[in-house]
Amino acid sequence: MCVAMPGKVISVHGRKAVVDFAGNRINAEAGLVAVKPGDSVLVHAGCILQVLPEDEANILADLFAELEDL
Amino acid sequence: MAHGSGGKATSELISSIFARYFDNPVLAKMEDAAVVPGAARIAMTTDSFVVTPLFFAGGDIGRLAVCGTVNDLAMSGATPMYLTCGFILEEGVEIAVLERIVFSMAETAREAGVLIVAGDTKVIEGKGGLYINTAGVGFLPEGGFAVSSAFCEEGDVILLSGTLGDHHAAILSARMGITNTIMSDCAPLHGMVSALLQNNVRVKAMRDVTRGGLATILHEFAAASNKCLRLEEDQIPVTDQVRGLCGILGLDPLYMGNEGKMVAVVAGEDAALALCCLQKSAYGKAAAIIGEVIRGEEGTLLLHTQTGGVRVLTELYGEGLPRIC
Amino acid sequence: MTDYRTFLKEYDGPAIRIMEVCGTHTASIAHNGITSLISSKIRLISGPGCPVCVTVTEYIDRLVELSLEPDKVVVTFSDMIRVPGSRQSLQDVRSEGGQVRMVYSPLDIIGLAAAEPDKTFIFAAIGFETTTAVYAALMDGIVCAGIENVMLLTSLKTMPLVIDWVCSMQGGIDGFLAPGHVSVITGYELFEPLSEKYHVPFAVAGFEGEQILIALYALVKMISKGESRVMNMYPAAVTADGNKTARLMIDKYFEPCDAAWRGMGIIPRSGVMLKEKYRLYDAGSRDLFSDHSHHPGCRCAQIITGAQKPAECPLFGTSCTPDKPQGACMVSTEGSCYSYFVNRRIK
Repeated sequence: MCVAMPGKVISVHGRKAVVDFAGNRINAEAGLVAVKPGDSVLVHAGCILQVLPEDEANILADLFAELEDL
Repeated sequence: MAHGSGGKATSELISSIFARYFDNPVLAKMEDAAVVPGAARIAMTTDSFVVTPLFFAGGDIGRLAVCGTVNDLAMSGATPMYLTCGFILEEGVEIAVLERIVFSMAETAREAGVLIVAGDTKVIEGKGGLYINTAGVGFLPEGGFAVSSAFCEEGDVILLSGTLGDHHAAILSARMGITNTIMSDCAPLHGMVSALLQNNVRVKAMRDVTRGGLATILHEFAAASNKCLRLEEDQIPVTDQVRGLCGILGLDPLYMGNEGKMVAVVAGEDAALALCCLQKSAYGKAAAIIGEVIRGEEGTLLLHTQTGGVRVLTELYGEGLPRIC
Repeated sequence: MTDYRTFLKEYDGPAIRIMEVCGTHTASIAHNGITSLISSKIRLISGPGCPVCVTVTEYIDRLVELSLEPDKVVVTFSDMIRVPGSRQSLQDVRSEGGQVRMVYSPLDIIGLAAAEPDKTFIFAAIGFETTTAVYAALMDGIVCAGIENVMLLTSLKTMPLVIDWVCSMQGGIDGFLAPGHVSVITGYELFEPLSEKYHVPFAVAGFEGEQILIALYALVKMISKGESRVMNMYPAAVTADGNKTARLMIDKYFEPCDAAWRGMGIIPRSGVMLKEKYRLYDAGSRDLFSDHSHHPGCRCAQIITGAQKPAECPLFGTSCTPDKPQGACMVSTEGSCYSYFVNRRIK
């Protein structure tokens, strides 16, 4: 568990949001996270669980540095 | 129900729909059997089609029924020549629906260069379901040409005629309520096979990529030939939309069905020519070389993954349904 | 960036055993061919984190019964339909007229129920915390809209106690790949008490091949240095305290309960079910514990903790095969036994 995939929010209407995954669109539940059009979001079983940052490279660099210090 | 009983209603159905769209000199004779010119070696096949819904993005059950049988014949190296078709109609099928399907079959048959020379219709109780069986005959060339899943040899190259999973993805999207523009790739492949053979490409094995997907077929080739086949994941064409759908539903394009793609194993030296033949043909624009037959563990199909690892591919177990896990 | 790939491939320290708890991680590891990219001294073991595979036969039997009742429809994820009950799976009962519909999202049940108000629609609600959040959102939708013909049959499980159970068995796991999407909901802090209690490191991992390699690198480094803490190697999606809104919604509708794990037995308080107040939406989930797959011979518990190998189970390959699977390890297409039977992980 659990199959989930990042997609792009196209529009928000009440507790639902249209999310696009490379041309596939679903009407996802948006009641668990505050979202706006343009957000990159993680969707599991038709429900948005998290907003994703543009890139995680910087945060990872810090983690690698921490591991080198071990 | 009256339409199936053999009387006036039946002959009206035949003349107003079947004979009208399938019109050809053999069928026009309306005999009990079609008598046609033959060849020294013939290929024969049959298949039944029960897909729902009857009409889907990129095709319908009629087109599928013609392409499925035409492609099975073409994959043996035969030129598809004649088809029969049997309909089983449940009560409630609308005449307009039947007419659309028959029209589609006629168009597809014309494209595939086959004649529909015999047919049958039965009507049963039910709620509007429609099922088609087609049987086909094709002529094999002189000279004992043969392909077989057992003929793969070290050094042979594996080609795929286009993107994976489109048909399965189109059907599943509709059922799962996911909006996209994925279309079934239902198409007759006799043209691309003919191009390969006319250009003297040494084809060892070929198959159309239907239920079970590419991995199931190539696993069979590996087992039958007792060889090691190795694929490059980043060479295998998959459209972004199909990839996206697979990501959402937890599907693997390697195990999804197509209805208009083929895989061919050819002699290594003919690889470039084979690719050219496929890419120039009507439904092969996205054709690619996806792997080769190598020295390795016999009867094994391997995938060199995009991450750089190696994965063993088996035949499909279960139904290849969407996953949550 | 650090050359973690070379590090993992050339690791030549003491043999170590790492468990990925989450079934989706197991699938991703196989899908990417991860085992072929790491040293043979790093052994990866698939844990019990596949909620489909750990559902007991009695739960499936109840779904099968419900599907045959007049005016009832069972709605489910597709991967549930293959799991065998004591006699049949949902796939089997469909061919006998059992009403079973497959959906992508539990929320799709609302539309199905609205279209046929004279029928009762029952969702086969399985999952860990990630999916429980979705069921909570579904409950919110049902309760607020006053929908009366939707119910849940739950077999919901939680992570920490089953990991505790694994650690307390004799398997000897040196490190855990923590579940990436469960952590989105719970936060990675959830694993800190376990890490401390058993002196074992956790690395939260994403699901792409590269993300798994990065998390494995963190684990091997921590194991080599005797560090026992939780490192979040999936910072894009996972935070320390997770999704509070989701957790509040889960707590509104669900409460802890005992849960039965296929092939492993009952682990107290390792599951959740609908609270008393919302029991009217429950289709009879309580005490569905009986597990006919639990032959005396079944070694699932030992295999899932890495204490034994599939070939050491007396049922393996004889009464337990992919076509007629018994315990979770064979039901799951990425379970240890299934993998060993058909899909050798390359070394």
